[in-house]
Amino acid sequence: MNKELNRRDFLKNTTAVTAGVATIASGITLTTFAANDNPVTNEKRWGMLVDTNKLTESNINDMVNACQEENGWGSEIHSTGHQKPSWIKKIKVKDKVTGKIDMLPMMCQHCEHPPCVDVCPTNASMKREDGIVLVDKHLCIGCRYCMMACPYDARSFVHEDLSNQKEHMPRGKGTVESCTMCVHRVDKGEMPACAEAVSSNGVIFGDLYDANSKINQTLRKIQSTQIRADLNLNTGVRYSGI
Amino acid sequence: MKHLLVIFLTLSLNTVLAHDDEHANLGDRATELKDEGKSKDIHPSLDEIRKMHPEFLLHRRDQTLRQGVRTQRDSLKGCVDCHSSTKNDEYVPINAPDQFCSTCHQKVGISLDCFSCHRTTPKEGL
Repeated sequence: MNKELNRRDFLKNTTAVTAGVATIASGITLTTFAANDNPVTNEKRWGMLVDTNKLTESNINDMVNACQEENGWGSEIHSTGHQKPSWIKKIKVKDKVTGKIDMLPMMCQHCEHPPCVDVCPTNASMKREDGIVLVDKHLCIGCRYCMMACPYDARSFVHEDLSNQKEHMPRGKGTVESCTMCVHRVDKGEMPACAEAVSSNGVIFGDLYDANSKINQTLRKIQSTQIRADLNLNTGVRYSGI
Repeated sequence: MKHLLVIFLTLSLNTVLAHDDEHANLGDRATELKDEGKSKDIHPSLDEIRKMHPEFLLHRRDQTLRQGVRTQRDSLKGCVDCHSSTKNDEYVPINAPDQFCSTCHQKVGISLDCFSCHRTTPKEGL
């Protein structure tokens, strides 16, 4: 066979071979990186159920301390009074008629329709697909509109230069911050620090959509409420016993 | 005259090459990896990482924060872990004047603002 290879055949063959290699190569790349690269989806909605009947005052203090320890806030020395950050706080509610006192932990309620996201001029205030509301501090300009919009007073502004932050939780002067539902732990399959700090069933964390999850099953059975349910924000954090 | 020219050229070539390959302060872990010959596993192309690292980091930050994709590759944490150096058994902040990040950024006049929020040393404690 003495077929002479002309230019057309050469190009045809070369292209076929190159395309083959590219396909294999891209296949390999795709399979290699697909393992850890799955973005979160809206098939889940993370939520929390706080049962105030099961929580003592010291339980709530433990929750606050665990949050401070995990996320590294609370040791600001130059901030005064209201300037101090508080991602989660202890609230005392008193019924004036009967004098009944309820203690409850209050943090970002991770709304489905968050007012803080609506008012943010730079898109820094954002909600992840799985329902966790966060501040993108790369984009935050510190205008604090979100702090005014939040009905739960859940957000804080960092007033001073910080150093020695936690590796997983960057924080800095001039940006707004709030409870992240310990997003760095949730992404690893762990529970938020505050939920873990309470050993009783006082705080249940889980996927609200998953019919087999403890939080979903408990919410089906017992009476629970959203704080300021009249605002129709559909919060991810629910309370029972108040 | 010819000899002088050869010496001059050799010297200048050496300076260029030396400048190209050496970094004033590579960091403890990175130096170890380089000595073990493993640096190519992390940065296959030096030119690429030198030129493209801002883009890699920018892309990674949005993926991590907004989509929850948390891989070690191209994370700022990863940079700090390897390129930090120790002095008297304590980590020196990576944004200090003679440390890995600042040496180049100062030279090219880039003021970087990663570390007003991000931790400047690897993990907690040593």
